[in-house]
Amino acid sequence: MLARILYNIIGRKQALPESELNAMAGEGDILMAAGLKPGGMGRIFRRSVRIRQVDAGSCNACEWECTALTNPVYDIQRFGIDFVASPRHADILLVTGPVSAAMANALRKTYLATPGPKLVIACGDCARDGGIYRGSYAVTDGVDKVVPVDAYIPGCPPAPARIAAGIMKIIEASSKIK
Amino acid sequence: MAENETYKLTDNETYREVAPEEFRQECARLFDNGRGRLRMMFAVDSRETGEGFNIYAVFSHPGKDLFEIVVLKDLEEKEGGITFPSITPKIPAAHWYERQIADMFGLLPEGHPDPAPLVLHGLYPPGVYPLRRDISHDQIRGLLDEDKEDLSSFMKVKGEGIYEIPVGPVHAGIIEPGHFRFSAVGETVYYLDARLFFTHKGVEKLFERMGFDEGVKLAERLSGVSSFAHSAAYCHAVERMAGVALPIRARAIRTFLLELERLYNHIGDIGNMCAGTGFAIGYAKGALLKERLMGLNERLTGSRYLRGVNAPGGVLADVLENPAETLRTIEGITGQYKSFIEFLTGATSHMERLDNAGLLSREIAMALGATGVAARASGLDDDIRTAHPHLYYGQLVFESHTRMKGDVFSRMMLRADEAACSLAILKSILHKAKGKRLEGDIALPAVEVPALGRALGYVEGPRGSIFYYVSSGRDGRPFRVKPRAASFCNWPLMPFAVHGNIVPDFPLINKSFNLSYSGSDA
Repeated sequence: MLARILYNIIGRKQALPESELNAMAGEGDILMAAGLKPGGMGRIFRRSVRIRQVDAGSCNACEWECTALTNPVYDIQRFGIDFVASPRHADILLVTGPVSAAMANALRKTYLATPGPKLVIACGDCARDGGIYRGSYAVTDGVDKVVPVDAYIPGCPPAPARIAAGIMKIIEASSKIK
Repeated sequence: MAENETYKLTDNETYREVAPEEFRQECARLFDNGRGRLRMMFAVDSRETGEGFNIYAVFSHPGKDLFEIVVLKDLEEKEGGITFPSITPKIPAAHWYERQIADMFGLLPEGHPDPAPLVLHGLYPPGVYPLRRDISHDQIRGLLDEDKEDLSSFMKVKGEGIYEIPVGPVHAGIIEPGHFRFSAVGETVYYLDARLFFTHKGVEKLFERMGFDEGVKLAERLSGVSSFAHSAAYCHAVERMAGVALPIRARAIRTFLLELERLYNHIGDIGNMCAGTGFAIGYAKGALLKERLMGLNERLTGSRYLRGVNAPGGVLADVLENPAETLRTIEGITGQYKSFIEFLTGATSHMERLDNAGLLSREIAMALGATGVAARASGLDDDIRTAHPHLYYGQLVFESHTRMKGDVFSRMMLRADEAACSLAILKSILHKAKGKRLEGDIALPAVEVPALGRALGYVEGPRGSIFYYVSSGRDGRPFRVKPRAASFCNWPLMPFAVHGNIVPDFPLINKSFNLSYSGSDA
């Protein structure tokens, strides 16, 4: 919304159309967990989804790509998706990082503080299974070792277009949109 | 290829072994009452080669392209553990290094004024020291006890009207985790206690089980937006250890990408400072310009974060292949950058917030060993590119920038100056490539790592100097890899920069430093 106002001030539309966003994202690599029920979220996610991003020990590349989602090029707010400051306001937890030992408790608490129904997305290769840090004494080898995960977005880091398209695909799979 | 001849390796590294009683004196001599700089300090567990534990302290002196390394041997075993003489009372910049050594190796700094645990958050029982080589990842994991997590030792400020604001580790923005305790009087921060190392991933120990080639990937993932600088410093160390000189084109490409990384960071940071003042248009313009640069990164290297390019012995992508086309893009970005800075400096409401916020004095910056933008904006001329020129920097004409005041305004304007300098360097390299003056291979065929070798590697990253120490074992595999991220030096500055400011200015001050948690936590 804010970005839309900004376009008028900046004077030029910068945002990528949805089709181009999808084309840039590549195909078929978003992995839905077996527990994710198609349509299980009913209509609640329709055009209004709030995301709490949790960095569970990432190298910070994934966070910068999430930040880029709100820039005038990707402008994820135009799809009714936005990031919020508290898990209390969130529908989705977007978790990055291999979950460092020191972040495991904080991640569990954040999960419990998020009201249901909710989705957890593990974003990035190390959130999937620890990635390059797999086996280290200080990590837990992936988000699903700590909290239940509904879907995975791969990449190191996944590009903003892929995260955006991934989130939309996951929302679509879990909701009755029409 | 004539220029290779002047590029001698490890000529600027001297090691001197000392006994514990000489250690303090030798370090003090090299520190030279603050004129010298402590670059990094770390321990090595050489018990398997019969040398016991060693402590290395790396010093350099402004104006001299030389690293003088003091190696402490024969640590004393006393009641309560193995100790070494702390140099922190004389050299405050050593304080975090020594606490890190105590946590990771169980070597205790005798005489350290604040020897509290730093890295491990009490997650492991006493006596577990992860970087000792006789304990494996799995063994340490088996001893992990999350319920023992201890975050209690915060500085308590007492007095009328003083209250505490706890923040984190999960923050409100899309940023990295850390825990901050503000002791505030009304709106004014009296004291800030920062608890970091939430993203500690055991990287140093992971390096030891990888090969030297594979280690590049891990170095790239120490800190997202310094991927290239970290991998370049790591490769530099491996190449120096192997005693090889890079072809001129490889050196030019690394220099080019280091500057490109600095550019997208500085421009992104200038834009992010607008988010700190709530100046949405400035933020959007900065984000847009940064996105263009990320697109250029991807076009040139296939990675928005310049990953997968560095390798010991050179680079894997010929980034200077189409200099004319890249030059056009850079020219376009230069124009947009100029109008962006003009727009920001004309926005009085934004610029007024930056003035006098987050002051960091030269004395504090010097004592705590600040590096990069944080140091240069407080009047300390510390730039690896000019102090220890390597890669292609020796062939370029440029100067390192400084500002004297040390506030957020200085840090923003310094970034603006440096971004302009980076743009000029990029153009200069592209012109040379266009004139066919950088012809040659982009990598050496192979780099043979010697057994029992060691070397330092370094670059000036976007956030400041980055150092790597690497050594190989008898089998020629990594024995010890110690990264030292710029942010590790700069985090201890935050409490001083925040003191006396209002709480709402903290995000702005924080953004003006833009420190990496992951790089520092390792």
